[in-house]
Amino acid sequence: MSKDSLKVKGLSRQFGSVLALDDFNINVAKGELVALLGPSGCGKTTALRIIAGLEKSNSGSVTLNGKVITDESAHTRNMGMVFQAYSLFPHLNVAENVAFGLKMRNVAKKKREKRVDSILELVGLGKHHKRFAHQLSGGQQQRVALARALVIEPEVLLLDEPLSALDAQVRTNLREEIRRLQLSLGTTTLFVTHDQEEAMAISDRVGVMSNGRLEQIDTPDVLYNTPSTAFVANFVGTMNHIPGVRTGKSVSILGENFKIRNLDGSDGHVMALIRPEQLEVEEAKKNGNAEVVTRSFLGASSQIVCKLSDGTIVQALKPSSESGDLHPGEKVTLSINVKEVLIANA
Amino acid sequence: MTKNLGSKLVLIVTAIFVFFPLYAAAEFSLRNGAEHTHGFAAYRWIFDQSGFAENLGITLRITTLAVALNLLIMVPTVTWLHLSGQRYKRLVEILTILPLIIPVVALATGAQLAMPDFMQNSVYELSFFYVVIAMPYTYRALDIGLSGHPLATITNAARNLGASWVKTLTSVVIPTIRPSILAALFLMVALSLGEFTLAQLLHWSTFPVWVTNVSQQNIIGATALAVGSLFFAWILLFGFSFFGSKNSKVVQEEE
Repeated sequence: MSKDSLKVKGLSRQFGSVLALDDFNINVAKGELVALLGPSGCGKTTALRIIAGLEKSNSGSVTLNGKVITDESAHTRNMGMVFQAYSLFPHLNVAENVAFGLKMRNVAKKKREKRVDSILELVGLGKHHKRFAHQLSGGQQQRVALARALVIEPEVLLLDEPLSALDAQVRTNLREEIRRLQLSLGTTTLFVTHDQEEAMAISDRVGVMSNGRLEQIDTPDVLYNTPSTAFVANFVGTMNHIPGVRTGKSVSILGENFKIRNLDGSDGHVMALIRPEQLEVEEAKKNGNAEVVTRSFLGASSQIVCKLSDGTIVQALKPSSESGDLHPGEKVTLSINVKEVLIANA
Repeated sequence: MTKNLGSKLVLIVTAIFVFFPLYAAAEFSLRNGAEHTHGFAAYRWIFDQSGFAENLGITLRITTLAVALNLLIMVPTVTWLHLSGQRYKRLVEILTILPLIIPVVALATGAQLAMPDFMQNSVYELSFFYVVIAMPYTYRALDIGLSGHPLATITNAARNLGASWVKTLTSVVIPTIRPSILAALFLMVALSLGEFTLAQLLHWSTFPVWVTNVSQQNIIGATALAVGSLFFAWILLFGFSFFGSKNSKVVQEEE
């Protein structure tokens, strides 16, 4: 990746008494795809709308390729945007919809038609020029919206949950297509979603948002393996909450001591946050420390749900080839295969 | 079977109820005085009356101005209400009903006083009053049209693609709600062409006022005028619905 294309600094936005965005900062490099991930109401769409110029911020700045555009109107920013709701103009056909942005830029008719043809081919809708929005499926409508946003050669492509209205299969196909197009065109892209699988699958980096703030931004694997806060750990992937006792910089869980990664808080009872694949399940030689509740075959691995002696339910993952003997009711020994853990308040 | 017969019966009764008086009026308007023959004498009589062209011309000009004013005021206003003025929507709905509640006499006196001096001496002041009187209907026609589309999303998309607010309104919002605009336009035209009370109270001579005056001289001629006006309104209605459905015809052909 080369230098930053989009720089957002200290954005804040208040709606009445609700602080939707609180000192939001993000840099997106040229040609990079960054996803903003977070629960509903965390401020991700507000951030995107402020970047697009569709919403005003109370403070902060937006810089695009070195130029401050905070006060520029939406129609002069040269950003393409695909919305969550279907946004095709109902009175225009597919080709006219795609040509709209070019028309606004006074591109000559011949050139316009050529670019519309080529982008529609690229999104696989080369034979749908004359169709109207109501004659297209949801997936096709979003492809047209994507083509319409890309044909203007935007400096930044903004995607506001464009797949959330689609069914699972179309969703998976279209997200891969978005990534393929983004890579082939080299378009700097900011992608808002609440679906972590979607964000992790196609992004160079993922920013996790909570309460109007960016909690952590990193590559998908770093985010998953070394989350910096309990919120990120809980929000990304499956997380077990195992009771433990904190003493200083270490915590005792399942009879063993571990270093604590997030040191804020005080001594006493806490919850350790452990991923299923960080839990080892072995058949107990004597009594063990847990009991198998269910075993689900997932293909290469199996999910083992266990009950600890205090009643806590946890999930573990084990290769299917090694988990055939683990039946419900069987006593097992659970251990943790990492040295550092995140903790949260009990 | 019984249900089918019942539907047909309702249809026949309704058709008689609607069309028989029209047929009777049309037949009566074609009578040649006391003779038991039919012709277009009453229609020719209309054109022979002095003031026909002049008053029709005035009414058409008032109507044109009223339609233009109505669209210029109402389309941006209702669009704004849908986009960012949701909290004022209830208030505007109540305001638009007022012309139905306030008697025309009170409206004429009050509105006349509120008019600037130079407008009080011009027949075109009626255009402004007609915009107000038509508001309950035109507002609702536009409101229904806008409610049927994700207006916020499509206007955001248009702005994001480089359209200014004016361009968004003219290139996206207006074409999207064209059928509703045509419906509002038709209501406005129908009201302006037929409005009598306000024009009479303010002593302006418009086509409906002229029709009332000449009708007192010739009963068959008056019926011919009523039938003629009705056909004129129908032609307008068909014209508007033809232009309104043009887009959907294209869509059907595609299918």
